Amino acid sequence: MAKKRSSGIGSIEVDMTPMIDIVFQLIAFFMVINNFEQTQADERVKLPRDALAKPPEVKIEHEITLNVGYLRDVRGERTNPDPFLFNFGGEDMMPPLGSSKALEQEARLYRNREVEPKDVTVKIRADAEVPTGVVQEMIKLAQDAGFEKFAMSAMSSSEGQ
Amino acid sequence: MARNRKPQEKLETNMSAMIDVVFQLLIFFMLTLKLIEPEGDFNINMPARGKPTEPSPDPPPLDTKVKLRANPDGTLVGVYLGSRPLGNDSDAFKRLNIEILRLIGSPDNPLAEDMAVEIDADYNLHFKNVISAVGACTGRVDPRTQRVVKYIKNIKFKPPQKPGAAS
Repeated sequence: MAKKRSSGIGSIEVDMTPMIDIVFQLIAFFMVINNFEQTQADERVKLPRDALAKPPEVKIEHEITLNVGYLRDVRGERTNPDPFLFNFGGEDMMPPLGSSKALEQEARLYRNREVEPKDVTVKIRADAEVPTGVVQEMIKLAQDAGFEKFAMSAMSSSEGQ
Repeated sequence: MARNRKPQEKLETNMSAMIDVVFQLLIFFMLTLKLIEPEGDFNINMPARGKPTEPSPDPPPLDTKVKLRANPDGTLVGVYLGSRPLGNDSDAFKRLNIEILRLIGSPDNPLAEDMAVEIDADYNLHFKNVISAVGACTGRVDPRTQRVVKYIKNIKFKPPQKPGAAS
């Protein structure tokens, strides 16, 4: 509430304290709920949901993320019937089965950093409607590049099974 | 610093600069707000093919086969545990969950460590069904404690077969 006080010169002074209190609370709220973590997640992928998909308690040290999904319009309808691998190997999108060179390059980069590809987790963020065979073929390509650990991502859901 | 010389010597601070900055901060945090739903992972170990396996004195794990059949458009036709049909609706995965519990006897059974589930999914099947099957085999969330009760951890996949390829 504004409090008016008349001084000798006739100026009006407003008590800003409650407003500043509220604004600071709002800033604190937005800071807390904001997620500044740099993830490799792509928003074009609509993940499946499952009750057992709980966020990991310990952060995985070495991981690469494969985002497989569809191009969709604002209503969520597919604009292209084929799935794409998004945001990988320096390209915005590529066919999932054409990712072997990029996967081998990733494996080489890890070896250069003295990390064996078998210790790197390949996180597969596949769209709920992507054919399972495509995901499995990508796992095969990653295995050929030397990766052995895989993780399939899903949204946490309270309903689930 | 504005100062009013009154009998009580009241000190007043000019807050406008701070309010400017605070509003800018508020707008920044509002614009950069990105609400992300929590995601979880199902971990699967899949060693490279053709790698010689180390001989183990233990007997090989008991495999339970879960078949997921699909229409050409990717929708689910049926869930099978071995050769037993469990339906094709959302309850099929609940039934699978119950059957897996029956197989392992009791939740967190140490014998379940030696068991494995092989998922044989059709090539076209929507990936969400595979995640539901993996979830149903891995365990369930206890409705009272909200904790995960683990069933079978070892999940394997049958190699994919493109539609039209010789089975």
